Amino acid sequence: MVSAARYWDAYKEVWRLNVLTLMEYKANFFIWLLFTLVYHGVALAAIWVILTKFPSLNGWQRTDVFFLYALWMVGHTLNNSLFFMVGDVPDAVREGRFDRMLVRPLDSLFQIMAQPGQNFPDDFFVSIIVFGIAAALVHLQWTPLVALLVVMTILSAAVIDGAVQLVVATLSFWVIRLDALRWVVMSLENDFTRFPLSMYNRAVRIILGYVFPFAFMNYFPATVLLHKTADAAQFNPALGWMAPLVAAIWAAGSLTFWRIGLNRYQGTGS
Amino acid sequence: MRLEAYVEFAKRAFSREGTYRFQVFSRVGSVLLRVFLLATLWTNLYRANGEQAGIPLHSMLTYVVLALLLDIVYGVNGAYVVREKIREGTIAIDFMRPISVPLYVFSDTLGQTGFALLQCVPALVLSAFLVHLDGPPSVLAFVAFVAAVAIGFVVNYFIDMIMATMTFWTMEIFGIQIMVQFIASLLSGSLVPLYFFPQGAIQQILLNSPFATLYNVPLSIWIGKIEPAQYAAALGLQLFWATVFGSFAVWLWSVGERKVVIQGG
Repeated sequence: MVSAARYWDAYKEVWRLNVLTLMEYKANFFIWLLFTLVYHGVALAAIWVILTKFPSLNGWQRTDVFFLYALWMVGHTLNNSLFFMVGDVPDAVREGRFDRMLVRPLDSLFQIMAQPGQNFPDDFFVSIIVFGIAAALVHLQWTPLVALLVVMTILSAAVIDGAVQLVVATLSFWVIRLDALRWVVMSLENDFTRFPLSMYNRAVRIILGYVFPFAFMNYFPATVLLHKTADAAQFNPALGWMAPLVAAIWAAGSLTFWRIGLNRYQGTGS
Repeated sequence: MRLEAYVEFAKRAFSREGTYRFQVFSRVGSVLLRVFLLATLWTNLYRANGEQAGIPLHSMLTYVVLALLLDIVYGVNGAYVVREKIREGTIAIDFMRPISVPLYVFSDTLGQTGFALLQCVPALVLSAFLVHLDGPPSVLAFVAFVAAVAIGFVVNYFIDMIMATMTFWTMEIFGIQIMVQFIASLLSGSLVPLYFFPQGAIQQILLNSPFATLYNVPLSIWIGKIEPAQYAAALGLQLFWATVFGSFAVWLWSVGERKVVIQGG
């Protein structure tokens, strides 16, 4: 067994390399930072334009939908900062890079996540600012309970997001071409979560609530934070506090699935 | 240089695209997923707020589906190959060949777009199962729509080509190009019809901007927001922007080419 201190040292080294890379390619860094701003800016502007013309979406105003997006954005960018390279597993397997990681002493999943050149957490800082603006727009009252729910939700959201990516990545041990599934999951997470779950039919509610539980990243907690009683009548308000539980289940489940996939991969040598 | 060579380039691009069957499948699927999402969104918005800007719900749903089909057509970006050629330096060899690189790229893009148009057929048919689609108001409107898409395609090609040509000066163009695409998706009326933007100066600027030639003009013709009396003006606006971007693209290319030929890159 390798001690936790070795992992910590390796992880620090990766981040040192990330910073050095950033210093070397400053223009590249700023272009991608600008890209982050444009990507989310366009999404928020579209929401703003639509809900200015159509002031109510199932009882949600433009500031509410803005908040919904911002809450998702914080959890998602935290996931990007920590687990972004999980999405590299299919490519690493196809290109044979993954086999190299298997013969090294550190855990292979850790090696995947701790590759230099991963996302710098600039988008996470941007999203904290966006979330601050959104919270002010909806006049969120910062009581200790509210702060607890927000922090719990963001941390859990990053784990849920990462765990779903890990499950999809693990499937690459069985299936080579996963592009379609990856695309559907990404669309469910990035596009479908922009709007209140109450607007969808039963099938989408079940998918976002229980199959790929992205609704726990923003919608369920937001109904509690924004006191959406009409939504609470359709969904149990306790769901708003359940993100940590869902995150724990998904983390355990996805790691188990990863081990199964890894054993199969190493077992057949294919 | 004979025209047949360029026709052959286009044919080859068409059949090359045909080998990626799986991509066709996932692209059609992704259109359907978005049709479902956007139909749900707009249906809910119309139910709570009623009709806005003189666009009834059935027109809006038609608009959404056609915008997604145009995404397939405009998403081809054949100029991508220019960026790779410049990055790898093989562009110098292309300059020695008896062909025009921009014309080669245009033929190639045309061939790829032909294949993209084929994908629109299943996407359209399957979308019709999800939402009710309006036909164009008249035969004339359909002809005007096709003409508008054709000019939109040319403007789109020039924009992509200008971006790719900039690789002569900076390698960081990929990020900028995606950024322009995202901004264009908002300002062209692809995500939200321009009639829903704040009325007054902002809307007027957007309706006349080069981005509007891509989505707003053809889609507005189809749903009847641009009426027959305005067809000439709308297509004229598109042609104006096509000329502006075309001239700029040609000029930029000649400067870039000279730079490589004289300085060696």
